[in-house]
Amino acid sequence: MMLLEHDAKELLRALGLNVPRATLALTVADAASAAIPVVVKAQVPVGGRGKAGGIRMARTAAERDAATIDILGMTIKGHEVRSVRLEQPVDFIAEAYLSFTVDAATAKVRILISPEGGMDIEDDAARVQLLSATSDLYPGEMQRHLDILCAALPAALQGPVGNAGRGLIQAFFDLEAVMLEINPLFITADGDWMIGDAKLVADDNAFERNVAVRSRIEQQPALYPEAALKLEQGFDFVRLNPNGRVGLVTTGAGLSMQLVDELTARGVSPFNFCDIRTGMFRGDPARLIQVLNWIAQGAAVEVVMVNFFAGATDLAETTGLLLTALDSVALKVPVVARLIGNNLDAALKIIADAGDPIAVETDLDQAIARTIAIIEGKR
Amino acid sequence: MATSPFFDPATPVLIQGINGRVGSNHARNMRAYGTNVVAGVSSRGDDVETVPVFRSTREAVAMTGARAAVAIVPALAVLPTVLQSLDAGIELIITLAEGVPVHDAVRARNAVKAAGARWIGASTPGLAIPGKAKLGFLPSASLAPGDIGVMAKSGTLSYEVCHRLVQASLGQSLWVGVGGDAVKGMRFSEVLPYFDEDPETRAIVVVGEIGGNEEEELGEALRARGTTKPVYALIAGASAREGVTMGHAGALIHGDVGTVASKAAALKAAGAQVFTRIADLIAAVQDGSTSARTI
Repeated sequence: MMLLEHDAKELLRALGLNVPRATLALTVADAASAAIPVVVKAQVPVGGRGKAGGIRMARTAAERDAATIDILGMTIKGHEVRSVRLEQPVDFIAEAYLSFTVDAATAKVRILISPEGGMDIEDDAARVQLLSATSDLYPGEMQRHLDILCAALPAALQGPVGNAGRGLIQAFFDLEAVMLEINPLFITADGDWMIGDAKLVADDNAFERNVAVRSRIEQQPALYPEAALKLEQGFDFVRLNPNGRVGLVTTGAGLSMQLVDELTARGVSPFNFCDIRTGMFRGDPARLIQVLNWIAQGAAVEVVMVNFFAGATDLAETTGLLLTALDSVALKVPVVARLIGNNLDAALKIIADAGDPIAVETDLDQAIARTIAIIEGKR
Repeated sequence: MATSPFFDPATPVLIQGINGRVGSNHARNMRAYGTNVVAGVSSRGDDVETVPVFRSTREAVAMTGARAAVAIVPALAVLPTVLQSLDAGIELIITLAEGVPVHDAVRARNAVKAAGARWIGASTPGLAIPGKAKLGFLPSASLAPGDIGVMAKSGTLSYEVCHRLVQASLGQSLWVGVGGDAVKGMRFSEVLPYFDEDPETRAIVVVGEIGGNEEEELGEALRARGTTKPVYALIAGASAREGVTMGHAGALIHGDVGTVASKAAALKAAGAQVFTRIADLIAAVQDGSTSARTI
């Protein structure tokens, strides 16, 4: 997952790298302590913030507060700006570029450096001088490649880019990064360097042993709601559309993502994505209750659609838990459940014995059609 | 029938982590399905049914001649388990666990390549030659012998697609779950030759999703090989937003990389039919001819 710039930079600072002083603000009141002049930067996990107006220089306290309020009200590429980083401006004489990326196809690390930073490297690839190398995922190997690349830089940049690169290679391993991009790397008049912007793609799968990154997410659930939830409870729930009309209680990441696509293609917008992981219930309806309660908060939700394909789990057990959960949640909308897989007959009997509190389909397209019919019947 | 070039169902298989709750269940199911399970490996515990359990992979291989290994171990134990399998001379490694760290997967992939072995996973329900053998836990509701080769990133989405194939009276010649992680053992383009060269495989179904460039790479591989078998691809994630992860760590869009549009273009340029709805894919496979409903 991509960390917010603020967290990427503070993680790098903790490892001894040069990062401009800054504070994080979730409200305009938080911004009051930031000395001016200051750069106000939207914190969203996507590129193109500058072009979207999410980065502004403020020279007075009034400008600072106005920029903070404006940017906190923005949505950039579908991401609500929930925080801004207020950062001390840096005086620089040059901007360089440096990145390390794990390449999935080759299982190696791609190293890219350029004497020209600050622009969108992908967009400007044709006119930017890019130096690249492919290295095995070992610090010594990456250092060797970096040294070779640095030797091709203008003389004034070789020292600072080399020094920054050494620290960043260590950080790449300490943080178990999938990608670490510094763009720009400011080169200062005294021959030193400072990290201008940092993009850190951390490895969700390494959180179990990567305490530094994990704790930043755990401590900021408001900024990383989905990732914090997954760390705390071990499953995925993503609010997709506050006006969504279908609440989803589904298991399996790929199939759940496909179901979101199938509904969207039919003109029905789901409230949420969910991979509830029925295999981890262990006889407890708590997770189902939790998810149904979240869905109940969706003001526009008109129907709940369940999709359980029990490949390695027991559908009867899961269905029993679903009915228990529905009994304890104040859900005012009908439920359509698509059930298929191990022990289907026993699951159907449980529902029939309970007096058919939910509509059941065994075919996914039939379940989708029934879900949509409920919405259309209400129009 | 010819033996699949990917996997001979008679291959002797060992199971690492066989004494766990999940491990012993999967081991029993694999045996019941016909898989030639000859050994288990576990730091503790007794034999499972008639399968002898050893304390090390090396010992298990020496005593039983196992040539394939299914690892049912926690994510952080996958890398050491893969290295132990390679050390014991195992040729085909399947690791089922989700959540293997990327840096571990990089090391495992390189070690497997250096040893000339093959690794399927991580984050996969495994692979199967329906009616003969399965390595992993692909569900019976989705398995039937047939002539469709299936390669899939997502486990559950492939359950659904294969279930619908079975309902349409179509079955699978070989089903390989390559897994949902970005860095993995074998990618779509690397399993392609085995499907292409399998006389039992008439057509190929690809269950892809957003993120990474495996589908794009597969398109190139199809063109480079001059594959003439029909290829039907489903790509999940058309409604996903940049920067939002929906379940699979690998299914993440950055900028224009990893989008449905990019994958569809690459696959279509190679002659594949590409779908975003399951029903359309199944109908096209049934027709066995070009369909007007591709995207």
